[in-house]
Amino acid sequence: MAVKLYDKLKHSIRYWLLRTLPTCQQTVEKISQSMERSLSLQERINLKLHLWICAWCQWYLEHLQIIRKTARAKADEPPEFVSGAGLSNEARERIRRRLTNQN
Amino acid sequence: MNAPQRKSPDESPDPGRWLDDHGDYLFKYAVFRLRDNNAAEDAVQETFLAALKAYKQFEGRGSERTWLVGILKHKIVDHFRRAGREAPLGEEPDEGSDHREFFERPEPWQGHWNNDYAPNEWHATPAELIERNDFWKVFNDCLSPLPQRTASAFTLREVDGLKSEEICEILSIKVNNLWVILHRARLHLRNCLELNWFRPEQ
Repeated sequence: MAVKLYDKLKHSIRYWLLRTLPTCQQTVEKISQSMERSLSLQERINLKLHLWICAWCQWYLEHLQIIRKTARAKADEPPEFVSGAGLSNEARERIRRRLTNQN
Repeated sequence: MNAPQRKSPDESPDPGRWLDDHGDYLFKYAVFRLRDNNAAEDAVQETFLAALKAYKQFEGRGSERTWLVGILKHKIVDHFRRAGREAPLGEEPDEGSDHREFFERPEPWQGHWNNDYAPNEWHATPAELIERNDFWKVFNDCLSPLPQRTASAFTLREVDGLKSEEICEILSIKVNNLWVILHRARLHLRNCLELNWFRPEQ
């Protein structure tokens, strides 16, 4: 009985918060900005509350962090993943001629 | 002792060998950032020319490739600067999509995630993803449809880790515009990675 009541209450609070807080569309923009600047206190409270009740936006934040960490770790590694081979023969010869003229 | 190896003063640079040893690497490094083969070829050529001029300062400190990549980074930034000056962005960034469809829902939930686009759990860590070359292929392909400036801003920020202010100066844009651009790039890229990497079976 008590558990049921608690669930109902939780559901109502969640519903009320979702209706009151900024939407997901507004929240993901704040999530992106939180990676660029420090948010104001009000913005942080809204974001925390929204994340508390919304798994989708939690994942969104987590994914942006994964993307950033992965991309930065890769920055100075060989970019082997770029499709296609390296320099075209034509470009290679053009650069070679240019360098020989300089030398 | 790891004393830096000094070359003898009469040793002359060998740009032909540089081209053979590092040409492809530098080209791939540049093309990932510039997303334009011609611009990347130019940047590689300018790098070697600058390296020839600056050869005296190199003095065999560190690896040759690291030294050349250091020069190439400057050439890439120079390219972005030129492009930013030639096609300045107005007050409103009208390039790129804000992906309104991601948040289309019937009332009262308009503005919340649409089920078709809502994020799912990825079950992946950066450490795992770094090891996967095919992930980088998808990552690169996902950047391709973005407007060039959007992709540049995103790469400078998320791959090279430049500060917002530096990117604004390089691309000649205002910081508010940069935030909008980055936000759009992230919306697109996250969705694209999820569709093409994390649940390709659907």
